[in-house]
Amino acid sequence: MELSDWQLVEKCQAGDADAFQVLVSRYHQKVFMVILGLMRNREDALEVAQETFFRAYRKIKSFQGGSSFYTWIYRIAVNNAIDAQRKQKRNPLDFHENIEGIFEARNEVANDPFADVHDRELRENMSKAINELTPEHKAVIVLRTIEGMSYKDIGEILGCSEGTVMSRLHYARKKLQEKLRAYL
Amino acid sequence: MSQCDAIQESIGRWLDGELKATDSEAVRSHVEGCLACGAARQRLEKIQTTLGGLLRAQASQLEFAPFWREVRRRIDEKRPWHEELIERVQSQLTAPRLAWAVPAAIILALGFISYAKWPLGGQVSNYASVESIDTHGRSVALLREDETKTTIIWLYQDPEGDNENVEEATKSGPAF
Repeated sequence: MELSDWQLVEKCQAGDADAFQVLVSRYHQKVFMVILGLMRNREDALEVAQETFFRAYRKIKSFQGGSSFYTWIYRIAVNNAIDAQRKQKRNPLDFHENIEGIFEARNEVANDPFADVHDRELRENMSKAINELTPEHKAVIVLRTIEGMSYKDIGEILGCSEGTVMSRLHYARKKLQEKLRAYL
Repeated sequence: MSQCDAIQESIGRWLDGELKATDSEAVRSHVEGCLACGAARQRLEKIQTTLGGLLRAQASQLEFAPFWREVRRRIDEKRPWHEELIERVQSQLTAPRLAWAVPAAIILALGFISYAKWPLGGQVSNYASVESIDTHGRSVALLREDETKTTIIWLYQDPEGDNENVEEATKSGPAF
């Protein structure tokens, strides 16, 4: 029987690193996606994602289950990513680098050549448009996109009210629509 | 504001399932019968699916084994004693409450000074407040003293804004 997140957390708190490995396997891709959405650079995002889980492990004894594990881990991830991005000195590379190769490998390109070019342009410009948002606006749109999270959960992760989440999301979407008008 | 403008303001919340049932139904029936609002819906959905597709494509390339090896290496790594000590002290000193206790203490002190100077009944309208301005623990404390027209703006960043424990604390206290 598959253990719940909380059961695994309790095992971790008792010093069971294998239980932590299961938690990492459940969330590493999603945490990586959130961080990548905030940071653009794949290598930096990978480093921050690993650091996120390392910090979570060190803090797990203080986790009391007042919120869900995923809310807690996303909060650590978002804070780490925003911090790392502010400290980042080297030029960020777009996270869409090599992305077309990935899409082709997954056979996700459109059959219609015109639509294919259009989608490719949209993807390229999407990553630029996202990067022009503030970290706070990026965070709401990425969390909403990846997990389909409620405003309440996003507010818990970001430490702000549901109203703030709603207005940030509205603003971020409006900005993206303006910047991507030609491709939507 | 036209009906379409009002509806388009709500389409995002409707797609997110954050509208009340009655409002949701009103938006749905309008969007289904209106070309402009239907197009606005499609634009929002396209943004969502494109961004999601970009991120998922990258994450699908992430292999678990090397990822976990690196996390495990960090866990097992013996850290210098002073780093351990600093972390332990920080975890004791930066209890979540402190995030808002410091600006609150300043406001209390300013309030006390104001009260001592202008006791009850005086015709003064001083103003004091503390606001959290972002998710990184930055806060601004504001005091406006009416008689001398003095305004003090105090910016404060609590390192705890970055402390993952704060999230749990917000369950029982203000979201500072």
